[in-house]
Amino acid sequence: MDYLAKLINQTKLKLFFSIFSCALLIILAWYIINYYVKLNKLELLGSLIVWAFILSLIFAIRLSNYLMQPLKNIWLAIMHLAPKTTGIVPPDTDSIKFGKEVVVNLIDQLYEMLSVTNSLKGEEAEKVNSLTQNFIAQSLPLPLFVLDDSETIKFANQAAASYIGSSEKEMIGKNVYMLLDMSFPSEDTFDNWLKKSKDSSATSTQTWERVRLEVRENHPLLMFDLAAYYNQGNPDKIETLLVMFDHTKLYSQEDQAVSFMALSVHELRSPLTLLRGYIEVLEDELGEKVDDELKGFIEKMHAQADLLTAYVNNILNVTRVDDDQLELKLAESDWATVLFASIESMRLRAKVRGITLNCKVAENLPKVGVDRLSIQEVINNLIDNAIKYSGKSKEINIDSHLTENGLIETTVEDHGLGIASSVMSNLFTKFYRDHNNRSQVGGTGLGLYLSKAIVKAHGGNLWVKSHEGQGSVFGFSVLPYSALSEEAKKNEDKEITRSAHGWIKNHSLYRR
Amino acid sequence: MSDNTVKDTRTVLCVEDEHLISELYSRALNKAGYEVTVIPDGVEALAKAKTKNYDIILLDLMIPNLTGIEILRTLKDPKLDPPIKSKVVIITNLEQSDEVKADIEKQADGYLIKAELTPHELVEFVNSIK
Repeated sequence: MDYLAKLINQTKLKLFFSIFSCALLIILAWYIINYYVKLNKLELLGSLIVWAFILSLIFAIRLSNYLMQPLKNIWLAIMHLAPKTTGIVPPDTDSIKFGKEVVVNLIDQLYEMLSVTNSLKGEEAEKVNSLTQNFIAQSLPLPLFVLDDSETIKFANQAAASYIGSSEKEMIGKNVYMLLDMSFPSEDTFDNWLKKSKDSSATSTQTWERVRLEVRENHPLLMFDLAAYYNQGNPDKIETLLVMFDHTKLYSQEDQAVSFMALSVHELRSPLTLLRGYIEVLEDELGEKVDDELKGFIEKMHAQADLLTAYVNNILNVTRVDDDQLELKLAESDWATVLFASIESMRLRAKVRGITLNCKVAENLPKVGVDRLSIQEVINNLIDNAIKYSGKSKEINIDSHLTENGLIETTVEDHGLGIASSVMSNLFTKFYRDHNNRSQVGGTGLGLYLSKAIVKAHGGNLWVKSHEGQGSVFGFSVLPYSALSEEAKKNEDKEITRSAHGWIKNHSLYRR
Repeated sequence: MSDNTVKDTRTVLCVEDEHLISELYSRALNKAGYEVTVIPDGVEALAKAKTKNYDIILLDLMIPNLTGIEILRTLKDPKLDPPIKSKVVIITNLEQSDEVKADIEKQADGYLIKAELTPHELVEFVNSIK
């Protein structure tokens, strides 16, 4: 305010002196003209008017430039700061001669007001942004979990709270593995993916189907598809996002369909018993009395009846695996004996397709700890697959040997259709069948799923190598009985009991 | 084919209500030299089993009037007087839970699934029972 008062006083002074100077000059002009030039009154008046006009014009121009300096500089400052104007140079406050203090003060005020406004806008924008994000996250009708870099739940939306049956407050701050007991249909679990992503990716996304979640006792089992996003080093520590797509009803119906299937196929057992019995009678009675063609037909009937029996057993066993009801009793066995018995039972099925089964077993293999019937089911499933996928190839090679780490490994190799790499990751999934070969190759899609569960229950591993168009090698391992004997010693009957189940627990916290 | 003959005539009681299955099994066992009696009713089968000491009893689980489990428990009851010396083999297509199956196997001398057994294989198993 002092600066403004000063400016007003300066302006008054300037104006007074300008007008006074102008008046004096006009009077002086009148005196000079009157003294030196003899003019009549009219001529004198005219010359004085002209002189007054010229002086007024000069004073007006010079005075306005001088007096407008402060306003001009303020205008420059405003236009320089205005968001819609560009290229305006800010005022040079050092060159201001008139009203400098007022101008400088006003410009300072302008700058301060602008920064406050921007700051408010920023805060407002951030507030609006945060509200918007929160609204979106809470309105999302899918369970959403946000984890930090230590897998602790930072945020869970309302849908997640309803789904799990916990409040958001109860979930936040908990480790995700403590809260979510998830099981996956294969080794490709969320835990494994996250570990791999942390080691090797800046960002990563992954989805899983048919994930099971046991929330707590008396809470229904949940089944869903899961999507996850990982980003490393997020400044807000929002490292992993999880979204669940509930399919409990659908997947339960499918599982119930399997149970229903089991009930239905159970009814097939009686007619199967008779079918196999009559085929055997025909083989016995007609064997040498019929020509080769009819004999071949009877052999094919026998092979198909065996195949049907295997399918029925697979379906029944899968429901037991799913319910954790398939119990295996591992006993000391001679591996060659077990293997050869299986191969002999499959030889007819191979023969009717013109395929030869070649078997090579290393000498002096140690005794193994196996549930004979179940492990033979595995061998039969693998040989059956090799037969189905042999294409035009006419040989299947089965080999058993001791590995470097003391396991008994058996491989079944064919040189047929092979498996596309796009199919490999789903190979051991229940019901999965290679769609490319579905019309050529029959099957229930359960054999490998079941075989994997049985081999795992034996403490072994089932794997596959394949090249499309060239064939496949399936291999599995079983433990030597010596590795299990400590456990067997505790049991009177020297048997070790294992449970075969098809679900892989997400985290070691929950594994048996 | 395996040799299905035996030196002495051993007797077999086949407790099976599915006629076609009992016919198949009888045929195979008779050919192998066994003397086979088929009884499709549970009560009648139990009465017969107590009075005549069959070498082997092939016992289905689902039969009319008395279940195979009830018959098994009666025949293997230590209080049965006189005790029977028959070997009792359960032969069924019924899917049992592992607990029930384990319980049955404790008392029975064998547990076979019909659908997984051809007549020859049944004869081989019966031959193996001492």
